Amino acid sequence: MSVGFWEILALLLLVGTGLAVVRLQNAVHAALALIANFLVVAGVYVALEARFVAMIQIIVYAGAIVVLFLFVIMLLSAASANVGQDLLPRLSWVAGFGALGLASVLIFAVTRFQPPANAPALGGGLPQALGPLLYDPDKWLYALLAVGFLLLVATVAAVVLIEPERIVSATSHPAHPRQDPKPNPPTAEQKDERAVVKR
Amino acid sequence: MIWLIASALLFSIGAYGALTRRTAILMFLSIELMLNAAALSLISFSKLSGSLDAQVVVLFIIAIAAAEVAVGLGLIVAIFRRRETTGVDELRQLRG
Amino acid sequence: MQETLLLPLTIALPVLGFVILGLFGKRIGEPSAGWLASILVLGSFLLGLFLLLQGGARWALPDWLPGIPFSLNLDNLSGVMLMVVAGVGFLIHVWAIGYMHGDPGYSRFFSYFNLFIAAMLVLILGDSLPVVFIGWEGVGLASYLLIGFWYQERLNADSARKAFIVNRIGDLGFLLAMGLLWSMFGTLSISELVEKVEAGGYSFTTLTLAGFFLLIGAMGKSAQVPLMVWLPDAMAGPTPVSALIHAATMVTAGVYLLVRHAFMLHGDGFLSGLIVAVGFLTAIYGALCSLGQWDIKRIVAYTTLSQLGFMFVAVGVGAYWVAIFHIVTHAFFKALMFMTSGSVIHALGGEQDVRKMGGMRKYLPATHLHGLVATFASGGLVPLAGFWSKDAILAYSFEYGPWLWALMLFASVLAALYSIRWYVLVFWGDYRGKEHPHESPAVMLWPNHILMGGAIGVGFIGLPYVIDYKNFIEPFLTKAIGDFPHEKLPVLTEWTLIITSAVVAIAALWWGFRFFQQKMPAWYERLEAAALQGFYADALYNTLLVNPARGLAELLFGGDKGLLAGFMGLGSLVGGLGSVLTKLQTGALRFYMAGLIIALVLLVGWGVLR
Repeated sequence: MSVGFWEILALLLLVGTGLAVVRLQNAVHAALALIANFLVVAGVYVALEARFVAMIQIIVYAGAIVVLFLFVIMLLSAASANVGQDLLPRLSWVAGFGALGLASVLIFAVTRFQPPANAPALGGGLPQALGPLLYDPDKWLYALLAVGFLLLVATVAAVVLIEPERIVSATSHPAHPRQDPKPNPPTAEQKDERAVVKR
Repeated sequence: MIWLIASALLFSIGAYGALTRRTAILMFLSIELMLNAAALSLISFSKLSGSLDAQVVVLFIIAIAAAEVAVGLGLIVAIFRRRETTGVDELRQLRG
Repeated sequence: MQETLLLPLTIALPVLGFVILGLFGKRIGEPSAGWLASILVLGSFLLGLFLLLQGGARWALPDWLPGIPFSLNLDNLSGVMLMVVAGVGFLIHVWAIGYMHGDPGYSRFFSYFNLFIAAMLVLILGDSLPVVFIGWEGVGLASYLLIGFWYQERLNADSARKAFIVNRIGDLGFLLAMGLLWSMFGTLSISELVEKVEAGGYSFTTLTLAGFFLLIGAMGKSAQVPLMVWLPDAMAGPTPVSALIHAATMVTAGVYLLVRHAFMLHGDGFLSGLIVAVGFLTAIYGALCSLGQWDIKRIVAYTTLSQLGFMFVAVGVGAYWVAIFHIVTHAFFKALMFMTSGSVIHALGGEQDVRKMGGMRKYLPATHLHGLVATFASGGLVPLAGFWSKDAILAYSFEYGPWLWALMLFASVLAALYSIRWYVLVFWGDYRGKEHPHESPAVMLWPNHILMGGAIGVGFIGLPYVIDYKNFIEPFLTKAIGDFPHEKLPVLTEWTLIITSAVVAIAALWWGFRFFQQKMPAWYERLEAAALQGFYADALYNTLLVNPARGLAELLFGGDKGLLAGFMGLGSLVGGLGSVLTKLQTGALRFYMAGLIIALVLLVGWGVLR
């Protein structure tokens, strides 16, 4: 495993922006740190001969998803990270130890990986190479179609979730006749009037 | 590969963030970090094993992450519209 | 001997009574229910008599159980028993019409009473041992139902249960005997067994063992020592029950069983000696206990016990026909004694303590006559019935051994004493109570008249040979029981024995008459106190058997409850565990995520380290 200067730099940037994401108090700053993280990751992808994926990473992940986050942050004015009381105070220690443990276990696991001896070349991960894989019915075509459908469903769901409630009551169907509200009961004066008339 | 280690680190940092952040949106942000770390590890494996299938999977991961974010943020908006607070600890109705 | 359906009809008639009265008794009501029951029993009696005069009858349902037919056999032996059961039974039924008047369970009583007659007939007529056993159990059931007739009283229910349980011990012997006989001979039909035993070729000791088990069964049913504890307590039932079941019929079933199996017992010295010993012990025990009782029915119950002992001695010395003869005479005078006691109880409005009786001869003339005859018959006064059968037993005992004759003579002295004591305490002296005694109605007097006639006259069917008058019953029975060679005593000896027992009886009756009218001396009072407790037999059984069993039962019950509590505790344990685990359900999202992360760490670590 040869580690050059750029690798070290990328690694430091990754970890730094990651820590920034989890520690910054302003939500907008944290989102921006995430964008930076994604951009570094895209660069790493290019180095790892996954250029198409890198582009997608920048356009979709950094450019759409995190932007969506920013939109919502601004919609809800939820820029502040400290909301209400911390009802689970000691959780940060647990989280810290948990994260450390997780990191050690994962690193330990990952260093066990033995890459195969003769790995074929990737050719840069260009769309020309990925396309046949994606659209091959024996490979990933159906997954692709499913993911497309999933995106449609997610869109509709997002719209439905946000819609205000007036959509629920607007049904008029012969099977469900809408009941008119009962007329108001007669007020006291009206009662007296009728009694008087009777006599 | 070093990027595997990097992805492990990023994943752990994301986990720490998911547990520590008290606002729903920031928790979600950390989860996105974790997702990204997984994708990074996949690309590393792709390079190490010489298989392009991992990259295809990463494409799917990104797409699904998009869908998930859409729905998740929709949920957050819907919930917090009623509650006027984005505090996660306040959501305790499933307490048993 | 003919094969006829009329034979099971004799049993079917009281069964019909049982069913009809059981289902519709309340609607039939007093006194028709009683008359219906009595008529049916009379029907059985007449039918049985008719068949007997024709020379007997048989009936069988082959292969009722594999290899075992349901067979009935009316021969001379079972015929005599049937006469006693149905005849005396009929008289007691009629008497009970008057005695049970006004009781809310009137028809239920007669329903059970008919059930008893039916079961007793099955027992007597059964030729196949399982059929006999059905009757055996049936009379035990009827006895239980009737002892506990007034079941709302705890004591009555307890007495009924006690009778049933002690009987059960005997039943075990019966079952074991049946098993042994089946394995030895492959048949349980008595007529076939007779042939097979005579043919020989079997293990003698096994047959003795079978006979021993049968003896255990007979001891349970006939309340011999040591299974006698149930009979005094059985007096908790109504007086007709005591008269019929616990004097005349059911308790004699044991004797009948042994006589039926005379072919097995005869010649077996060990068994005979055992039977004699058991019978003698019972005779003495019953007599002594009777001398200390204050409840009029318990006095008579213990006398029954004593007389049953006499019957067993008769069987033991080989005088089988004499045992049956004694059953017949005893049925008359003991039923008479019981029913007279019942009339007195009825006259005094339910009083049963003899210390509050006395002087009844002035108030109840007819009943007094009955009581007098019963006393003389029971005490063995010549020429009443009790004398002849008792004398026959004494004669055969003399043959067995003069020492046995002397012992049995002593027992008969005691018999005279307890009889006269009963008479003196109830009928003589001055009335010690406060009621207004009134004589019984006719429906209760007439059966007693008939029984009185029997107590006087029935002895004459079995006179000893030295008297020049035909002995009817001996050849009649021997035809059915089996002819066992028997040397007659020399004429002089026989006459000496007769005169001795007659004189002794008269002397004992006279002495007792004087003795029981005065205040009791101290030694007698000590005897009385011990006798009242049955010489502590009940206490002994309680300590040795009942209380340990009860302790065990309580222990097991406590263990069961504890187990249940433990299971419920298990439930609450799970509940406690659950309530601890609920604390994990905080509802806080971050808490759950923390759990996830920790689990992830552990799982990946485990997977990696493997």
